[in-house]
Amino acid sequence: MSTSENILTEELLSGPDIATTVRRLAYEILETCRDDKPAFVGIYTRGVTLAKRVAAVLKEDGHDFEIGTIDISLYRDDLDNLGATMPKLESSGVPFALEGTRVILFDEVIFTGRTIRAALDGLMDYGRPSKIELAVLADRGHRELPIQPDYVGTKIETTRDQYVKVRFEEDDDQEGVFLITKNSETDS
Amino acid sequence: MSKKDDEPIPPSKKDLLDIASLSVEEIEYLLKSAGPFKELFKRSIKKVPALRGKSVLNLFYEPSTRTSSSFEVAAKRMSADVTNLSVSQSSVVKGESVLDTVDTLQAMKTDYIVIRHKAAGIPNLLANHTRASILNAGDGFHAHPTQALLDAFTFREVIPESRGKRIVIVGDILHSRVARSTSTIFNKLGVEVAVLGPGPLIPPGRNDFIKRLSSWEDVFDWKPDAVYLLRVQMERQDEQFFPSLTEYHKVYGLTSERFKTLASEGTYLMHPGPVNRGVEIVDEAMLYEKSLINQQVENGIAVRMAALYWLKPGTEEK
Amino acid sequence: MSKRLFKNGQIASEDSPKLIESDVLVDDGKITQIARGISADGAEEIDCSGCVLMPSMFDGHVHAREPGEDHKETIESCSEAAINGGVTGLILMPNTLPAIDNGNLIQSVLDIAAEKSRIPILQAGCITKNRAGEELAGIAGMAAKGAPVLTDDGNPVDSPVVLRRAIEYAMDFDLPLASHCETKSLSGKGAMNEGAVSYRLGLPGMPAMSEEICLERDIRIAQYTGGHIHIQHVSTAIGMNAIRRAKEDGIRVTCEVAPHHLIFNQEDIGNYDANFKMNPPLRTEEDNEALLQGLIEGVFDVIATDHAPHTHFEKANDFGSAPFGITGLETAVVSLYHHYIRNGRFGWDLLVKRYSAEPRRLAKADPIAINEGFDADFIVFETNATTEFSLEFMRSKSGNTPFIDKTLNGQIRKVVRHDALLLDR
Repeated sequence: MSTSENILTEELLSGPDIATTVRRLAYEILETCRDDKPAFVGIYTRGVTLAKRVAAVLKEDGHDFEIGTIDISLYRDDLDNLGATMPKLESSGVPFALEGTRVILFDEVIFTGRTIRAALDGLMDYGRPSKIELAVLADRGHRELPIQPDYVGTKIETTRDQYVKVRFEEDDDQEGVFLITKNSETDS
Repeated sequence: MSKKDDEPIPPSKKDLLDIASLSVEEIEYLLKSAGPFKELFKRSIKKVPALRGKSVLNLFYEPSTRTSSSFEVAAKRMSADVTNLSVSQSSVVKGESVLDTVDTLQAMKTDYIVIRHKAAGIPNLLANHTRASILNAGDGFHAHPTQALLDAFTFREVIPESRGKRIVIVGDILHSRVARSTSTIFNKLGVEVAVLGPGPLIPPGRNDFIKRLSSWEDVFDWKPDAVYLLRVQMERQDEQFFPSLTEYHKVYGLTSERFKTLASEGTYLMHPGPVNRGVEIVDEAMLYEKSLINQQVENGIAVRMAALYWLKPGTEEK
Repeated sequence: MSKRLFKNGQIASEDSPKLIESDVLVDDGKITQIARGISADGAEEIDCSGCVLMPSMFDGHVHAREPGEDHKETIESCSEAAINGGVTGLILMPNTLPAIDNGNLIQSVLDIAAEKSRIPILQAGCITKNRAGEELAGIAGMAAKGAPVLTDDGNPVDSPVVLRRAIEYAMDFDLPLASHCETKSLSGKGAMNEGAVSYRLGLPGMPAMSEEICLERDIRIAQYTGGHIHIQHVSTAIGMNAIRRAKEDGIRVTCEVAPHHLIFNQEDIGNYDANFKMNPPLRTEEDNEALLQGLIEGVFDVIATDHAPHTHFEKANDFGSAPFGITGLETAVVSLYHHYIRNGRFGWDLLVKRYSAEPRRLAKADPIAINEGFDADFIVFETNATTEFSLEFMRSKSGNTPFIDKTLNGQIRKVVRHDALLLDR
């Protein structure tokens, strides 16, 4: 397949850009919290980080939000064709009652919508929230399911075969949002 | 928190036949992923859809309530379709080989076969002849890998830094697949293993990795972190290995006296079940706060889910 | 009537490790000339360059399964398997169904052999009736029909007094007793050698002492009675050394070793491969080495395969339930070349002495050699060719050998017996 020379990496958001975007996302969410207080649930791995960052911004203003985590591996619809290695499992933790609670689900990127579908199924197995909303750092389009985010950090125009990579310091020792293009004209 | 990609995930295997053929990385992976499965048990809905549409056949040629139901629960919590088949040994022996049975099973397009059989090596035989993933639920004196995994998982739950810690296995070491698999897994994980049992029930030949202790006094002197009692089965023995169960209890059993010492040392107590009260264990020890016996049962489901999740059936019919 | 000229071969003998390059002329079934550069009018010329010519082999321990289990092997298929492996003389074991425990049964086997077999066949008789170890079999009758040896092979004679009476009685007929050494109360339901490997595999073990105790007892009975005991398929170093001492003490004991006990050990069982299951079982690597040394030093009188065919169905069972035994006639010569001669562990002379000459002497069969004036009875073995032991290659009805589907160095190209080319490839 393609070698590293055929891969083009373009930085879309820098570290400071991400900070600004997260801050905007946080206040957009806070706007909706007049009547109730939602709980956050991050999707492993970087959705958890995103949820924590948003919560941290709001904490500065004196607002505390509870954070749960969810690992969607066991709910994926593609476990059969993942190749030789199964996804790593993390402990999901929802340390609050979901019954009657508004939940905001966090993921770093929304693409086909399949991850979110899996997360919705997983979340429902913990209880019956009053409402589930979705917050993402980036929306890169190409949905395969009728799922749309409620809070979007940034929209990115992509082609189907490009790849959007979000890197967070906490998870990756690197910060930034990158667009990866594999040169399709690879010669043998 | 740990960074992502810190430990590579070992590629899935087709079968789980014994502990000896698993690498330390594979064992660590299975133990680690059993944790998230155990977390699921706290939810009101304990089921996940990971094996939706997959079929699991529980094929038991030897009676077993615990292991077969544990596998059944594990498979059902993964949303697999489970068929239980208890085959009485007598109906198989005449003219039909195990491989004939396998051909029948092939036709059922089973994805996973959990098998228990009195003959060592039957799961290996099956594994070579079917596309289904084989999970060995105990074959003769050979292996009982999921028991070993749940034992190690349970031990780690109470003693997370297990390397260099000590466990003594007491009982019929020679005829116990549990002793084989469990001593192997602890050995691979760097836990020191010693055994205590009547001389004729200690394996002959060189088994350098197993330290042999000769009395309960030795056991206490060795200061183990856990004592693992095996079920003593007179019924399995067609020759006499020790004079009587009463004498066994006196010399090798966890008597009241020994239990007091064990409790005062704070040593954990393990047993694969079902227990023989009054033989290998006194009644009062069943209520011991540091008994891990019930925890072992619960953890059995989690490690079996982890195993089902990790194993991958073959793609083509052989 | 034919004339065949074997050109440019290397001739092996039991007397010297050296090969002698020479042509061999066979005329009307007899070796008429051995010299370089022979030219003979009207002779079919067979190029033997790169080939070793050696006397055909003789296997004193073979199970042909007829009568009673002809789905596994017949006298016909067994003799064809022997030819395929360069063997032109056999002693068949009497543990058939029924067991060969009287003269009439020996005659019935010989009758079948006369009709179906292209090589001479000897039939051993039982020591006790139905190999039960209780009553003596019809020894005089069997001796009269040419039984070369008596054995309850597969079973030991459990009772020392029965063995004592048998050996004393057999002396009157100058018959040796061949002993399958096993103390059944020790080996019990064992399926393989007892030790670390049997423990690891969870298989019931047969301790080495099961064989050794019986072996020592049998030697003692031979010593006491003055009779001739032949110890079959010795598998342990301790057993072999007991025989070595007995020979030094002048006791009439002979013994055999099977190729599989030299080549394989318990570790080879691997993933429960029942083609490595036989009785006595494969022992340890140390035993392999000791037995090989013993063979080189002359402790073993003969090599014998214990050719024991079983169906695929039976061997495909789990290791514990699969029957004991592997085939050996078709693989012995090639495997011994591949493992030992090729790399100089022993010479051609050892193979000829221990698998052709001595077995014939022990069986009181006619001696053969590649000498002028002798009947032609030799094989042409190409060292640079290979043999793939596929099922198609096998002429035995059964393919239960550890060598199945393996390719080894060396190939038997021709088997010449008298006027016939029994094998030609």
